[in-house]
Amino acid sequence: MEEVTDPEELAKARAQDERFARNSAWLQAHIPEVYSRYRGKCICIAGEELFVADTPEEVIAMAEAAHPEDDGSLIRYIPKEKMARIYAV
Amino acid sequence: MRFNGEWLSCDDGIVRPAIRGEILADDGSWKTFEFLVDTGADRTVFSAVTLAKLRLQPLTAQEGISGLGGSADSVIVETQIRLTRETSSKVVFRGQYAAVTQLDSLDIDVLGRDITGLFSAIVDQPGDVVCLLGQRHRYTIEHV
Repeated sequence: MEEVTDPEELAKARAQDERFARNSAWLQAHIPEVYSRYRGKCICIAGEELFVADTPEEVIAMAEAAHPEDDGSLIRYIPKEKMARIYAV
Repeated sequence: MRFNGEWLSCDDGIVRPAIRGEILADDGSWKTFEFLVDTGADRTVFSAVTLAKLRLQPLTAQEGISGLGGSADSVIVETQIRLTRETSSKVVFRGQYAAVTQLDSLDIDVLGRDITGLFSAIVDQPGDVVCLLGQRHRYTIEHV
């Protein structure tokens, strides 16, 4: 465990955090429509825009092509079925 | 030392305890993810979508990771995880972490006890608190 104290690196990380937060907020605001329409799909939010594909590689390529500047993209797989989950892996 | 998380709304409408962090990708960039704070998980595990985004080369295949749904195919990757302190500085955890290889096996990255065990983990839904405490941060339990 080590702490990063380099101001330049921290500033870069903070900017990325803010971009991720914007994409996450977009998803949280659109949860019902996104999660109900795209079960079994991979989604990616970049530039506060939704991308959908069957595989992570496809959806990452789509998002990177549309928003190459956004290093705070959010990717997620939406399970096919809605059910109670126990993780503990 | 304090790492703050949040109760995150998931696809099924359930809120789960999560902490945001970054993982070092194969190209040297940091990618941001949300980790489930799973106090029952023996180890940290990445989902298949996270593995794809990181483009990390697996060190080895692992026999499997077991949960309630049975065993899942997985690999081991060597990388770094970075969490954000209450001071906004970053703390890096280097290690070998497991990653599942099937999309259906895991829909969110899991922060297991290889990391959470270094801290006091607070997962308090009524109080709306998710955090990891260490070093000079402590919690108290009060009768009110």
